[in-house]
Amino acid sequence: MRIVVGIKWVPNTQAVRFDPKTGTLIRAGVPSIVNPHDFPAIELALRLRDNYGGEVIAISMAPPGAIQGLEHVLGMGADKAVLLTDRKFAGADTLATSYVLAKGIEKISREIGPVDLAIFGHETIDSSTAHIGAQVASWLGWPYVYYVRDAKLVGDGVIRALRQTEKAVEEYDIKLPAVLATAIKALKPRPVRLSYKLRAKLEKPIIIWTNDDLGLDPRCTGLKGSPTIVANITWMPEVPRKKIVYKPKDPRDAARWILRQLFTDEAVAPFLRKALWGEE
Amino acid sequence: MSNSNVPSKFDVVVVGAGPAGSSAAYLLAKAGFKVLIVERGRGAGTKELYGGKIYAPPLREVWPNLDKEAPIHRWVTTERLSFVWKGRVTTLDFKLGRRVAFTTYLTEMAKWMADKAVEAGAVLVDEVRVDEIITEGGKVIGIRSGPDKLYADIVVDAEGVNRILLEKLGLAEKINPDTVALGVKEVINVGKKAIEERLLLTENEGMAWLLMGDITQGIPGGGFIYTMKDTIALGLVLHIGKAYEAAKSGALKDTVPMMLEKLRVHPYFSRIWRDADVLEYGAHMTIEGGLRYMPKKLYMNGLVVVGDAAGLLLNTGYTIRGVDFAVYSGKLAAEAIIKAFENGGPTEENLSLYEHMLKQSFVYKELVKHSGIVKMMEDPTFFTKLPAIVNGMMGKLFEADYEEPTVLEALLESFREEEMSLTRFLLKMFSVVSRL
Repeated sequence: MRIVVGIKWVPNTQAVRFDPKTGTLIRAGVPSIVNPHDFPAIELALRLRDNYGGEVIAISMAPPGAIQGLEHVLGMGADKAVLLTDRKFAGADTLATSYVLAKGIEKISREIGPVDLAIFGHETIDSSTAHIGAQVASWLGWPYVYYVRDAKLVGDGVIRALRQTEKAVEEYDIKLPAVLATAIKALKPRPVRLSYKLRAKLEKPIIIWTNDDLGLDPRCTGLKGSPTIVANITWMPEVPRKKIVYKPKDPRDAARWILRQLFTDEAVAPFLRKALWGEE
Repeated sequence: MSNSNVPSKFDVVVVGAGPAGSSAAYLLAKAGFKVLIVERGRGAGTKELYGGKIYAPPLREVWPNLDKEAPIHRWVTTERLSFVWKGRVTTLDFKLGRRVAFTTYLTEMAKWMADKAVEAGAVLVDEVRVDEIITEGGKVIGIRSGPDKLYADIVVDAEGVNRILLEKLGLAEKINPDTVALGVKEVINVGKKAIEERLLLTENEGMAWLLMGDITQGIPGGGFIYTMKDTIALGLVLHIGKAYEAAKSGALKDTVPMMLEKLRVHPYFSRIWRDADVLEYGAHMTIEGGLRYMPKKLYMNGLVVVGDAAGLLLNTGYTIRGVDFAVYSGKLAAEAIIKAFENGGPTEENLSLYEHMLKQSFVYKELVKHSGIVKMMEDPTFFTKLPAIVNGMMGKLFEADYEEPTVLEALLESFREEEMSLTRFLLKMFSVVSRL
């Protein structure tokens, strides 16, 4: 089975700070990482490959810095990686991104070998759209199941994807080729292995394709191919806090104290009364 | 998957891409050895915490273009040492006559050093933990990481202060909490202009400022302030053994983060970083007194030990040296290894040259020479009484309403207040120093 797994090289949003004066994100100097929600997808791809044979190809549309992230995935045991990189791809929304990824997957099918399965993470930590899996499936015309927690092959060319809802486990049998998107934290990713990482460093099994290789209409990629308009960004201003520390010996005093604080606070008390007793 | 084209043996495997490991790797790769560096962190330098002063001359012996190429923040032109006691601060301020050391964050510096090694031909594999140094018949033959084994003619152990591999190998004992300290550091976004205006520095000029006194609440150690390009590194170093005892006995009022918080909001120091945000905070273990942390042997058949793992760090209270020692030990290790291969291989006998060279070098001599002051700084007579007495005396001299005491009166009075006699103080100092 030839499995492609999608990787996004994202700024570590935990390290991104917000400039309250200008209302913009300060991304300078923020290190990038492999999108954490992609790891269950990588792990599922590797498990399927380990069980049924074949190969795992990591794919990413990103600037060349993403090679570091692809090396990480190769270090976990992926066999190859494909980096789709071109200035014409920059500024893409999910539509333009999924288009390039789908065309990349088609090129893999033509030149490396037919792709049976594409797996994506739930969403990315820097934009949280959860669009990519569905959109790639649409471009390719392949069936799509998301929130997948596990999968196995059943019969010829049919994969059974497991989803867990609050009350039931759902099983979907879908014909390959197909696209899956994993649920957040569905599978624990394996660590990087010395021998795999060494191979990644020495053999550099990373194929780089620019738009000269893909030959896409530049009106369909990058900023030009992105109909999404970010009309406005607002942010939650920091609330000045009173920072009162009350340290009674008896916790019951603490409970009484905090209730007194809440019920004597003009801003809070009406809401509390309404919530507790329906008082207006 | 097949690893058929990937070698299972290198000439040299270096464990750890810190200053010691990368300098050894750089010199060995330049000499034509096939070198692999294995690093636990995501990229070289990411597990470093130090942000402070580094002495340049030993580094220039490895990288002659250091001054031009390395991520140097500022050249230290002012050294300060402050005694802090109950709101009083006495500061020694020294303007250097020439530039010997610079400030930087070791995260940046270690990355630069590793990049140099890779440029010279070394292979760096990051995000991989080495679990074991493997031996066969008393000879080190390689490393193991998870299920993978990799063989080498020689392993350079640059694993750092936490010597898990050396402990497993029986070369180092389990860490004695009295030989290590906890370093905590904050990076404060003060801004280039404000740093220079508030600390009287010009472009590229930097300050190294060490603090001792009640900021560590009776625990041996001290504080530090280093100026970087746009930020200030502020932190504390605390003796772990003594801190643990104090916490257990209830003598310790605050947690370590609270201690650092109190230093940050200290009315005298806080004006330097007023209105500035804390960008980062972190902690790392460091060596308290170098010689005691040194393994009995720094080499065996197929292995040399460099950097922090070899105990090469000196903390005198007024200066901290570790990075230059580490780099220099890496350089000596590389030279010894090259010699050993010329003389038939990395046998125990041939590698003993490394320890011999290290013991002849300034690194070991510095550690021996200053071991007295390292001991002294752990003695409460000095690290708590000294700041109290100095500030007590200055208070008497300068806070007089009408009559000022003479200097001697002020000194004796402040000794009396701290229930210390001058003679006892001098005797104690002499006895601690002469014990060495």
